[in-house]
Parts: sequence; structure tokens; C-alpha cells
Amino acid sequence: MLGERLQILVSTDQRRRLEVEAKRRGTSVGSLVREAIDTRYGAVTEDERTRAVAEIAAMRGTFLDLDALEHLVDEERLAVVPQSRR
Amino acid sequence: MTFLVDANVVIYSAIESPYRAPCLELLSAIARGRAPGRLSTAILEEVWHVERSGRAGDLTGLTSRAYTAFTPLLPVTDTTFSMALSLDAPALGTNDRLHAAVCHEHSIDSIVTADADFDGVSGLRRVDPLDEPALRTLLGVS
Repeated sequence: MLGERLQILVSTDQRRRLEVEAKRRGTSVGSLVREAIDTRYGAVTEDERTRAVAEIAAMRGTFLDLDALEHLVDEERLAVVPQSRR
Repeated sequence: MTFLVDANVVIYSAIESPYRAPCLELLSAIARGRAPGRLSTAILEEVWHVERSGRAGDLTGLTSRAYTAFTPLLPVTDTTFSMALSLDAPALGTNDRLHAAVCHEHSIDSIVTADADFDGVSGLRRVDPLDEPALRTLLGVS
């Protein structure tokens, strides 16, 4: 729901860029600003973030030392993901 | 000051080891908005690969949870790639170069990682998760 009015000053160039992009996408300048706010500052609440970390804390993975972990990441581009995990 | 969080910190948060407690403390502080830690798209992609490989046990959902905790991610852009190409860091692999370039692009001078390869990168300070004093300084805890 859009119930808050925000008045901001931007430069001529910023306004021009917003208008060009809005025209290209067939949307409004306001929509682009709202999208930029969500992209830059996120749309996730603190509760959701802390819950996500609590769920990570409940995980029980298998330890790999740093060399093994780095090797696993490095070989990514060569590895074939097992069918069951696609 | 904003700092970058490496993939091993996220992964070790989900695995029992000496790294786990400090890594979880860091993630918790970030989730609560008490520490300005960021992830990049390239770093989270590494976490995703480890999760999907199954070689670090069952980490199902780790990437999506880390995404929730850290969104918005720092992007890897054309500028990032250009900076990575010109980075003078012989010890770093290609992905790590992208991580270092993300730091430079966003004026980030610290990376929390267990990977000592980042020690020699100009303009970037590595904070090891097991270095409690350095970690506490980063978190602003005395």
C-alpha cells in the first residue's frame, strides 16, 4: 500500500536518467524510485533476518577444512551436479 | 565501517567447528543491524554450490537463509569485473579477485574470512573469524 509521500531533490542528470529508464520500461519514475529503495535497502524485516540466522544455527553440516572447502569451490566449474540435486 | 563476509563464514556458521560460534555471532549481529556486513552475489553463489554439492553434509536451505539475512547483496558489475582484471593480487584466484574488487568498488576495507590468501591484497584488511579481538573491534564490542 502506498500511503507515504516522499519529496526529494535530485540533479537534472538523475531526473533525466530516471525519465529515460521509465520510458524504456513503460513505467513511472515513482515506480523506479520504489524499486531502487527495495533493491538497495531490502524488503526483509529484522525478525525475518534473525529467524534466518537462527535456522542456520540449527543446521548440522559436515566439517570440511578450509583447503577442502576452497577446492570444492574451485572445482565448481568442472563439476557435474548430481541429477538428484538439480 | 562496512565489511564483506566471505563464503566460508556463512558455511562455517552451519557446521560444527571452532569457527562456528564466532561466525554465528557475526551473522547474528548483521541480521540485527548491529554490524554493517555485506555479501556479494558471487560469494553467495559459492555458498550455493557447496550446499548443492552435498559434500559438506545436509546444508539444505543455507543459501536462501543467508540471502534473507543479507539482502540486498552487493552486485558484481561490469566495473567490478574491470577492477578484478587489473587487481595486483597474485595469490588470489578468479572468484576471490571478484570479491576483492567488490570491496574496492564499494570502498570496503575489511573482509571477514578464514582464507589467508586475502592477507596480501592491497587496501584490504583480512579479519579471521577466530581472531576474537579483531572481530570484536569490527563489531564495535569492547
